Amino acid sequence: MSSHPQLRLQIGAASIPKLPAHLCEVIVIQRLPLGVFADPFELQNPHKHKAFRDIAVFGDTNLELPSFQSNRSAVEFHIDAGSNILFMQNNGTEFNLLLPLHARYQPLDESGYSVVEIGEPDMLMRCSVEGKQHKQSCLFMSPPNEKAKSTSATVAWKIPAGMKAHAGFVSVITFVTALLSTLSIVYASMFWSGTKVSKT
Amino acid sequence: MISLKPRSILLISAIFRVGLILVGEWQDTHMEVRYTDVDYLVFSDAASLMASGQSPYKRTTYRYSPLLAFLLIPNSFISRCWGKFLFSASDLFVGLFIRIILKQRKVPDDLCTYSMLIWLFNPFTFTIGTRGNCEPIVCAIILWIIICLINGNVVQAAFWYGLIVHFRIYPIIYALPIVIFLDPRFFRSGTKPLLSDWTSDPGKARQINSELIDKCAVCDVWKSTFTRSRILFGLISGTVFLLCTGFFFHLYGWEFLHEALLYHLTRTDARHNFSIYFYHIYLNYERELSVLEKLVSFLPQFIVQLVLILCFAKDLVFCFFVQTVAFVAFNKVITAQYFVWFFCVLPLILPWSNMKLKWKGLCCILLWMGAQTHWLLWGYLLEFKGKNVFLQLWMASLLFLAANTFILIVLIRHHNYGPVFRQHTDLKTTKTT
Repeated sequence: MSSHPQLRLQIGAASIPKLPAHLCEVIVIQRLPLGVFADPFELQNPHKHKAFRDIAVFGDTNLELPSFQSNRSAVEFHIDAGSNILFMQNNGTEFNLLLPLHARYQPLDESGYSVVEIGEPDMLMRCSVEGKQHKQSCLFMSPPNEKAKSTSATVAWKIPAGMKAHAGFVSVITFVTALLSTLSIVYASMFWSGTKVSKT
Repeated sequence: MISLKPRSILLISAIFRVGLILVGEWQDTHMEVRYTDVDYLVFSDAASLMASGQSPYKRTTYRYSPLLAFLLIPNSFISRCWGKFLFSASDLFVGLFIRIILKQRKVPDDLCTYSMLIWLFNPFTFTIGTRGNCEPIVCAIILWIIICLINGNVVQAAFWYGLIVHFRIYPIIYALPIVIFLDPRFFRSGTKPLLSDWTSDPGKARQINSELIDKCAVCDVWKSTFTRSRILFGLISGTVFLLCTGFFFHLYGWEFLHEALLYHLTRTDARHNFSIYFYHIYLNYERELSVLEKLVSFLPQFIVQLVLILCFAKDLVFCFFVQTVAFVAFNKVITAQYFVWFFCVLPLILPWSNMKLKWKGLCCILLWMGAQTHWLLWGYLLEFKGKNVFLQLWMASLLFLAANTFILIVLIRHHNYGPVFRQHTDLKTTKTT
């Protein structure tokens, strides 16, 4: 699999409670393990994500750190319950969320790969209820037997990792190559720059 | 023989760039793969933060001077393409400056035209500015500094030099060659230095431009270090640099200093890039590298820079070129945008090269592109097919360094050396090798 796949979250419409759509929003929270991150700036791309009320990334959003120096994160989608995207799929019984992910550099592994497991997302529904004095928000969580199901319960992602066995000779050959290049350039510069011993 | 006038070339280049920017905007809106560089989004976000009175460093991965964000503030209220037009305009200025420098050195018109075309119609360079990368600004200022120096305008050269080092740290490598270049034999108070003109005769042009490096170049620099030109250059450039840095430190604090300056001085990136060091850094990322290891990885860069400076400083433009190629090749991190740093100087040295395009020149171009393509193929397998090809990718980096080294040596071998200036008196030291 590529280092930049898209995670598809399939959510059955049956798992969304029947509540007044105009007052409610669906919140999907996908927790990401170490070794994987979502780019918050990519998620704000209006072309791709205009259907969402809001998308946010929480936790470690440093895009450059390797896995062993980073922390977990979570992505939160907010979708209007009355939004067309909830019903716009092939058979009208489920909808898909596509979450672009990126692999961090993994800890070294003798096998040359590191396996990262991504679990199921959590789904909540938040509704605004007109109270006597002010609007109140109520949060509904899908019961476990109707939880948002992805295609498989846990997704296992095999990411390439460096191999410790390479460390010794890679370092030696790197420095030897740098040295040889240096000597070549020094020699060429001194030999072909027109330098000459001058007594002045 | 090309008969296009410079004005026509610049006009065609400008229209072409405007077209690319517009097509790029369409592509960004309608296609999955964006034309715009992701860095441009970073600059724009930082500019919009600055426009609303906030620190540009609230935008993660913004690692540039606040000056850049300031220049792009109009992105927020004129057009989001403002920055691209600014960078592309700088790109055109580079073409213009190439012509100015070569004409001042009496290079024939057709060679000047070819040199302009090499920059203006190089696919790498015209996409850089139109995609929103800020390197053309740096290139334009570097060439302007060269123009100031060859016209004896030390004060202006120093001002722009201080500014550009603040803007982008890498031109600091040009400090020593510029100091050597400000030779009191050529730079005299009240007298414009005399340029050495271009000649097609390699024998006549082959003059010594420095004596044995461990003898007279160092002696000359040591003995006449404190000349008026050198002191003026050092003071003005240093003051400009410190003023800019101090001002922004006052505004944005340690975050500015770390992100815009210190990060670049200490940057190591374990993620794959063209540098030969990337895999070594990744394999050792979990432990702190020893002082010896850091020194050993810094030494090749230091030695190469020093030798190139001492051998070629009098031929300043060529010195800039070889230094930049070596600096990029030996750096701990190499990304494609760094190549434009030496691409802008390449057209200035070609009129002095006796290497023909057919077939040596073409071989060098194909070798460089081939080594890069080879690396990119392994990079594609790693990044987009998820294959563990770290070892092969690292070996491709070694090959890329070897290709760069070979091409650099070939260019040195075929360059007709000569000081940029000649002396005012009749006491010319023209010793041919």
